[in-house]
Amino acid sequence: MGTLHFLADGFSIALQWHNLVFAFLGVLIGTAVGVLPGIGPISGVALLIPVTATLTSGLGPEAAATSAIILLAGVYYGAMYGGSTTSILLNTPGESSSVVTTLDGYQMARQGRAGAALSIAAIGSFIAGIVALIALVFLAEPLSKLALQFGPAEYFSLMILGLCAVSGLAGKSMTKSLIMTVLGLLLATIGMDTVSGVARFTYNIPILYGGLEFLTLAVGLFALSEVFKNILEPNQDGELAKIERILPTKKDLKDSAAPIARGSILGFFIGILPGAGAIVASFFSYILEKKISKNPEKFGTGAIEGVAAPESANNAASGGAMIPLLTLGIPSTGTTAVLMGAFIMYNVQPGPMLFTEHPQIAWGVIASMFVGNMMLLILNLPLVRIFVKIIETPRKFLLPMILAISVFGVYAVQATTFDLILLIACGIAGYFLAKNDFPLAPIVLGLVLGPMIENNLRRALTASNGDYLVFLQKPISLLFLSLALLWIIVPLLLKLRGKNVLVNDES
Amino acid sequence: MNKQFDRYSSLFFAILGLGFVYESQFISKSSYGSNVGPDIFPLGLGLVLCILSLRLFYETFGYKQEKKAGTSFDVKRFSGILAVFVLYALTLEALGYVISTFLFLFIAFQLMERGNLGKTAMVAGIFSGGVYYVFVNVLEGSLPGFPEWLIG
Repeated sequence: MGTLHFLADGFSIALQWHNLVFAFLGVLIGTAVGVLPGIGPISGVALLIPVTATLTSGLGPEAAATSAIILLAGVYYGAMYGGSTTSILLNTPGESSSVVTTLDGYQMARQGRAGAALSIAAIGSFIAGIVALIALVFLAEPLSKLALQFGPAEYFSLMILGLCAVSGLAGKSMTKSLIMTVLGLLLATIGMDTVSGVARFTYNIPILYGGLEFLTLAVGLFALSEVFKNILEPNQDGELAKIERILPTKKDLKDSAAPIARGSILGFFIGILPGAGAIVASFFSYILEKKISKNPEKFGTGAIEGVAAPESANNAASGGAMIPLLTLGIPSTGTTAVLMGAFIMYNVQPGPMLFTEHPQIAWGVIASMFVGNMMLLILNLPLVRIFVKIIETPRKFLLPMILAISVFGVYAVQATTFDLILLIACGIAGYFLAKNDFPLAPIVLGLVLGPMIENNLRRALTASNGDYLVFLQKPISLLFLSLALLWIIVPLLLKLRGKNVLVNDES
Repeated sequence: MNKQFDRYSSLFFAILGLGFVYESQFISKSSYGSNVGPDIFPLGLGLVLCILSLRLFYETFGYKQEKKAGTSFDVKRFSGILAVFVLYALTLEALGYVISTFLFLFIAFQLMERGNLGKTAMVAGIFSGGVYYVFVNVLEGSLPGFPEWLIG
């Protein structure tokens, strides 16, 4: 069967009525998450994992996993659409990859062109989403076939590369992000060792034998810490700009066509790279547009190119980030790490085997992303006025409710008071760590990848009779490790030479 | 960068790393005859964590003294909400979902902004009752119900 046949099968799953509802719910909630300043895509996805777990409880295991991932992926790319709305109308990015959009988007809104900026952002996001998906469709098979030839040594090195790439670019201090990565890996060792059945760091406390629950840590670190920050450091909201007409003029469309195309392609390739997520993509595409523009001085004063390119790039990057997740089983950003945690909760291992073992999940999710992008275009063009109302939700209701939703989510899945206390502790720790430039995404990444890295390490070492050189003797493994080393060293060298290194601060 | 926080945290992570190194001495050294046991991974990571913490401690000497930023912290409101939140987590099983959630939300709404008792009570009631009804009756999940002494 060819790729197109698989994709057609995927569509037959994605177009089932309940999956359409899940995709719609996902993109709807995602847009809301993107619109609300303070809740980013990571915390949105983390908060919704337990909710989807209950929504899908009536379905069979495979169908439940498909529907749940459809919803969660919808939240992820929906948030990328929604983030631009507040950037343009409020000068406050709804999530961090829309920071660049504030530069020209808000200026356009002040000139009464808010509607044009919003619609170009939506159209650009749509085109970029489709471009990324088409590339995903054609890269998925060959990449997972390639990955199937990897042995444990290659896999171990590839995952080390993933971790180093994310740590090298996350946050202001590389030492701090490496500490967070190692902390995540160490936390993953708590509990029963899956290979030998030996209990580690459990101290005869029964609840620890199962290990620390990924979901509890993710919700605490991301959602709670953000709410705590919003309560502790209240910021005054700016004034909401008015939307006059929604549709862009012909000139707007003509001016933004090329930036959308460039932003989509650039964003997609940056998205595939481990570590470089939507934020880096949107920055680069903005800089690129400014460089090649005939009159760069108009950037920052309301140039439509300055909205079209970064908004396309951040959406293409979030589509691109699905590729290493689905084909290699390696999350390259914080949000895809949380998505991977969701896959594992459903007993589905993302990676090369996903396409052969669970084709309906893999292709169903990919097809649903086409459907979801269509829905988002409709939600964000005619209905954008309704979404703007969400921004006006009073914070006094919103913040306590997010706290209550996190408690509900964790308790519904775990049903222990221990997890609730752990949740609160993670929230407080997350707040202080993030405040002091310790990035949080690497912890989750370490936590998700920890058991896999350890398994592959031990399998490789067992096969080589404990000879650590095995990782350097296999050429592909050596290549991955050298790349990992470069990823750490190059930013260090750049910093030593006094250059500014662009960081991917997702949390 | 906050010099003090980074120093204390580097010490904390160094002790944590040492703890993992020390504790992994007691984990079995081999599994199924292989000389690669479940102790290697935490042992190695503990060592790496110690080295990274030392590096962070060293880096703090290079920090420039920063002026305190002018953000105001709403410590009073935060500690109030945090206290109610911890109480909520601890009493969830004893009081049941609806009552504890209602109380938490009602008090937290009031702590965020005083007044308007009727409206806040209504929002808290709709949320706690609604979530419980949908989750338990429609989706057939399980949450702690009402306490026994109340139903009788």
